[in-house]
Amino acid sequence: MEYAIETFSLTKIFSDWWGRDKIYAVDDLNLQIRYNEVFGLLGPNGSGKTTTLKMLLGLLYPTKGRAVVLGGDSSEPKISARIGFLPEESYLYRYLDARETLDFYGRLFGLERQVRKMRIEALLDMVGLKAVANRPVGTFSKGMARRIGLAQALINDPDLLILDEPTTGLDPIGTKQIKDLVLELAKRGKTVLLCSHLLADVEDVCDRIAILYGGRIQSEGRVKELLEQTGKRQITTGSISDTAVERIKQIVQNEQADCVITSVMDKLETFFIRIVAAAEVAAQATSGAVGARQIGGFLAPETRVENILDKLVSASVSEQTPPTEPSTTEQVRAVEASAGKPDAELLRELTEPVGPAQPRPVVKTEPVESEATQEEQSDRAQSQESILEQLTGRTTGPDKDEKQTDKSQGEAGDA
Amino acid sequence: MHSIWAVAVNTIKQAVRMKIAAVFIIGLLVLLGVMGVSMTGDGTLKGRLQSFVSYGLSLMSFLLCFLTIVVAIYSLTSDIKQRQIYTVITKPIRRFQLLLGKLLGVILLDVALLVLFSAIIYAITIYTPSFSDASEAELAEAKNEFFTARAGLVPAEVDVTKEVTSTYKKLEKSGQLDQLFGHMGRKEIIARLTARKQLERRAAGVGHELVWEFDNVKPLDSNQSLFIRYKYDVSVTPPDLQVYGKWFVGDVRQIRYGTKIETRIAEFDSKDLVRTFHEIEVPGDVIARDGYLAVGFRNVPLNNTVVIFPLADGLEVLYKADTFGANFLRAVLLILVRLIFLASLGLLASSFLSFPVALLFCLVIFFTANFSGFILESFDFLSENLADVYSYTLRYVIASLPQFDKFNPTKFLVGGRLLSWTLLAKAAGIMIFIKAVSLLLLSLLIFSYREIAKITV
Repeated sequence: MEYAIETFSLTKIFSDWWGRDKIYAVDDLNLQIRYNEVFGLLGPNGSGKTTTLKMLLGLLYPTKGRAVVLGGDSSEPKISARIGFLPEESYLYRYLDARETLDFYGRLFGLERQVRKMRIEALLDMVGLKAVANRPVGTFSKGMARRIGLAQALINDPDLLILDEPTTGLDPIGTKQIKDLVLELAKRGKTVLLCSHLLADVEDVCDRIAILYGGRIQSEGRVKELLEQTGKRQITTGSISDTAVERIKQIVQNEQADCVITSVMDKLETFFIRIVAAAEVAAQATSGAVGARQIGGFLAPETRVENILDKLVSASVSEQTPPTEPSTTEQVRAVEASAGKPDAELLRELTEPVGPAQPRPVVKTEPVESEATQEEQSDRAQSQESILEQLTGRTTGPDKDEKQTDKSQGEAGDA
Repeated sequence: MHSIWAVAVNTIKQAVRMKIAAVFIIGLLVLLGVMGVSMTGDGTLKGRLQSFVSYGLSLMSFLLCFLTIVVAIYSLTSDIKQRQIYTVITKPIRRFQLLLGKLLGVILLDVALLVLFSAIIYAITIYTPSFSDASEAELAEAKNEFFTARAGLVPAEVDVTKEVTSTYKKLEKSGQLDQLFGHMGRKEIIARLTARKQLERRAAGVGHELVWEFDNVKPLDSNQSLFIRYKYDVSVTPPDLQVYGKWFVGDVRQIRYGTKIETRIAEFDSKDLVRTFHEIEVPGDVIARDGYLAVGFRNVPLNNTVVIFPLADGLEVLYKADTFGANFLRAVLLILVRLIFLASLGLLASSFLSFPVALLFCLVIFFTANFSGFILESFDFLSENLADVYSYTLRYVIASLPQFDKFNPTKFLVGGRLLSWTLLAKAAGIMIFIKAVSLLLLSLLIFSYREIAKITV
């Protein structure tokens, strides 16, 4: 089995009431998604992205052609047990609270009580909804519902994650968190199929993309290769003097090339995240979702192996974990990130500003927090080391932000 | 199994938290409370008990039927309409498991509510006599005729086909058919002639005797009394509306064959109002050891009329075959059988229809099933041409519906009649194991092949 998902001239025609063919929603689609790849399906509204996903998942039946998912039919329980799916909107049972919702999905997967309980707590923690876990999800905002939707897609520790417009309705922090998560999951050997029309999201995380229009693939390939402008180069430096700038200009002109020199701008996303992180440090109370904590323990076997959670699940997961790339210099790292093998260290740095350094006072304002279970307490104690590490990491904030800027700036240049 | 259970629990939570169940529960509680206090029936204790149990059980049954239909349909159609099914069906659960989970959830909810409400009805019924100031006679009447489960034996119908056919042929030859019966169809004429012939067998001229024989009379306790329940019809109404009679009950074979008298034959003189039900209490020891019993009636010369025992309910031998409590339990189980059928029906409807349409579909079937016996009967005498069309089409459709009126539990409890395990098993066999299972299989078939993501209208 070479591909995680493979379709053979997949076609979906929606017909009208009389049975006459009307709309070719998906037309002769041949898609190949390799294992451990982050694949982005792009296209304008109505281009057949969601229809394709629905056919992959057996929610719609193809008019012609065939889809093979993880080597079989996705409606087979054996196969669907390894798939996580987040639909275009989070369709949740309004009368269940967040914890019950996850419990219900956990039961569908036949997870043991113990495992279920641990994963639910870890996921609630991860999507930042622990404080509102006992509230019916019907009262959640769209973004909060989205987070629960994401959590249910991860509860079975899936090998293949199918995300339909994962970032709609999410605030920039949530968006970023999803992007980080996707990268993190890819690093752990998972395959991710992402479907979106928010190009920035796709660009940041995908290894390969296909652009759909009218149900047909218009273009397909590696993001890096599709976007690279071979005729241009970008140099980013630290603070240098005007004379140095003049000298660089001189050198470039000697090469017979144009040269534009400007100050580096923050991405609005980076700026926003920094401001909110600061507010969180200042212990501003909120009834909404709190910032991201650490990625669900059972999804991340290598960060805290001493954790009970990991002991329970790491056996199966760690086998699938790809060998980690040897980290070398900064330059190589950036290349790797966009080539789809995100470096662990860089990732952790990226996640840190909204990471588990979540200050305690905020959550203390929520009465629910006092109900924290025993396991959670011990869980905290065990991960205290890593929290400390990150707290100290926070003191080197500016440095970190700079790196981040470097990276985004680099990519912006590529575009 | 775990996934079926997860869906079932979720279905119950949905019914409870969306307050669908709450509406029914509160309504039923209030109504039962009011009825317990205000029901008086015909003024006697027995009448009061009868009307409470009758209305209480019917109301509970009706509301639970309605609740079952609504919950079964809502549960699946709202999942499809609000698309929660997208995230459910893509998990390792097969579609039949989802349907079975929904069914299990609805049935469990039904069982819980049935237990609750039947316990309330039972408690009120049992304690009503202690709180009423009824006389001894009324208490005895209630004990003998209400707090019991009496088996009723009716005389076997006499086969009169031969006589009827010959009479019909005779009339046809002599051309009297039109004169006597107008433009009736053959079927209807035969039916009329049959009824007439059978009635002849149940009429006693002045000074004549009628004897009915029964086998397999097996009372719960041989020391308990038997009851002969009867109703007279007369050819000439007596001025005082009274009919005199002489009854004898026992093993008449002893007299007929002149053997030694082992069991006694009881004799009674009676004087009763015409066209109303009467009961004679007979000691239990008149039954022969092999369960044989004969009941004889002599039309004494004091009467100046032919005495007729109407066909359906003219004469019955009643004996206590079980306790009231056991009978009540079976009545409740009979309601559960009905609910299980309706839950399957609801799922079938929602496997291809949207909520309002499915609801309408189910209600039509529910009400038709309530009157199916009546409908079948009334269609039996359609004119010849139409009858052919009918008997090959609609007849099968209506016959395939469950017959709620035939298996109506309240009519047993009100009359203090035995609702036997056999009848319950028969009802369960037909309504669950044949009809509900076929509905379920059909819905599985439809549900497995339909596209989930397409929204139905």
